[in-house]
Amino acid sequence: MISIDFWNIGFTVINLLILFVAFRIFFFKPIRKIIEQRQAEVDAMYNEVTDKQNEANSLKLEYEEKVMIAETEKKQILSEARKSADGEYQHIVTDAKHEANRIHRDAVAAAEHEKEEIIGSARKEIAQMVVEATTKVVGSKAAAEIDSELYDKFLGKAGE
Amino acid sequence: MSSDLATELVEELNCETVFTIPLFGGIKVMESVVVTWIVMAVLILIAFIMTRNLKTQNISKRQAVAELIYTKLTGMVGNMLGEEGKRYTTYLITVLLYIGLSNIIGLFGFKSPTKDLNVTLALAIMSIILVEAAGIYQKGVKKWLKSFTQPIAIVTPFNILDVFTRPLSLCMRLFGNVLGAFVIMELLKIVVPAVVPAVFCLYFDLFDGLLQAYVFVFLTSLYIKEAVE
Repeated sequence: MISIDFWNIGFTVINLLILFVAFRIFFFKPIRKIIEQRQAEVDAMYNEVTDKQNEANSLKLEYEEKVMIAETEKKQILSEARKSADGEYQHIVTDAKHEANRIHRDAVAAAEHEKEEIIGSARKEIAQMVVEATTKVVGSKAAAEIDSELYDKFLGKAGE
Repeated sequence: MSSDLATELVEELNCETVFTIPLFGGIKVMESVVVTWIVMAVLILIAFIMTRNLKTQNISKRQAVAELIYTKLTGMVGNMLGEEGKRYTTYLITVLLYIGLSNIIGLFGFKSPTKDLNVTLALAIMSIILVEAAGIYQKGVKKWLKSFTQPIAIVTPFNILDVFTRPLSLCMRLFGNVLGAFVIMELLKIVVPAVVPAVFCLYFDLFDGLLQAYVFVFLTSLYIKEAVE
């Protein structure tokens, strides 16, 4: 029952070693390889996804930036337009003011001129009247009488 | 009756010589060695069939089972060995599967190889060689020799004794358990021929067989872990 046989032990050791090597070849190696391969595939996939995500994020940022630039540009253009419109408005208003002033000045000048003209013509008329009256008086009456009559006549003429 | 039983048991327990190789004055090839070949053939065949057409995606059920066995066993034995001893995982898994199948092959009508003291002795010798080799590999000869005087010099004889008692205990534990289980089963079969042996067979042949395989590997990995630390 309990007998030790060295050949038997040797056979068992050899058997075990053969089994060990066979298991390494047929069981451990292929399964480890396939698991590692799958891991590599998954890692690659994961990396790819991460890359894509990063790319998408950078694109998003880029677009956001672009939108922001467009927004500021829009604001700038708007403000510029408003500014130029303001300038134009001011310009137009100033022009209009100038025009109005000019028209006013012209009108005043014209009125002044007319007034002078009227005054001038009135003076001329008065002088003529005076001459006429003088001629008349000198022709009909004498000295003092003439004077007072003349005066009255003048006054009367002037009062007309 | 009792003498009949005794002779029957002894006959069952004796490891017969199957054939003799006519070299060096006749090398006896024992039954246990032949059954070991059968165990090896079965294990290698299963491993071979299980690992055909491995794919990374859309795996078959067969591959899923193979991967499950691989990851579970590697995880279990790897944990017992610790980080430093991970490289010995494959050997210990092989031993685990071999002892496991050897212990339960009795169910299929073969004589368990582990019922032969020579087989368990061979397993134990390989274990202790592996343990000491792992220690030398990890520490170098000088430190390995020095580790015999750890933690204090006075335990050196016991540490040296350990090199012999450990394989002896491994060997005898496995042998004794399988033998004891076998004897109990045979006695039970004679006393109560029906139903009851089936229940005990579940415990002794299946559970105890696998448990002893686990214990053997567990202790070996414990020794390796101790040696490489």
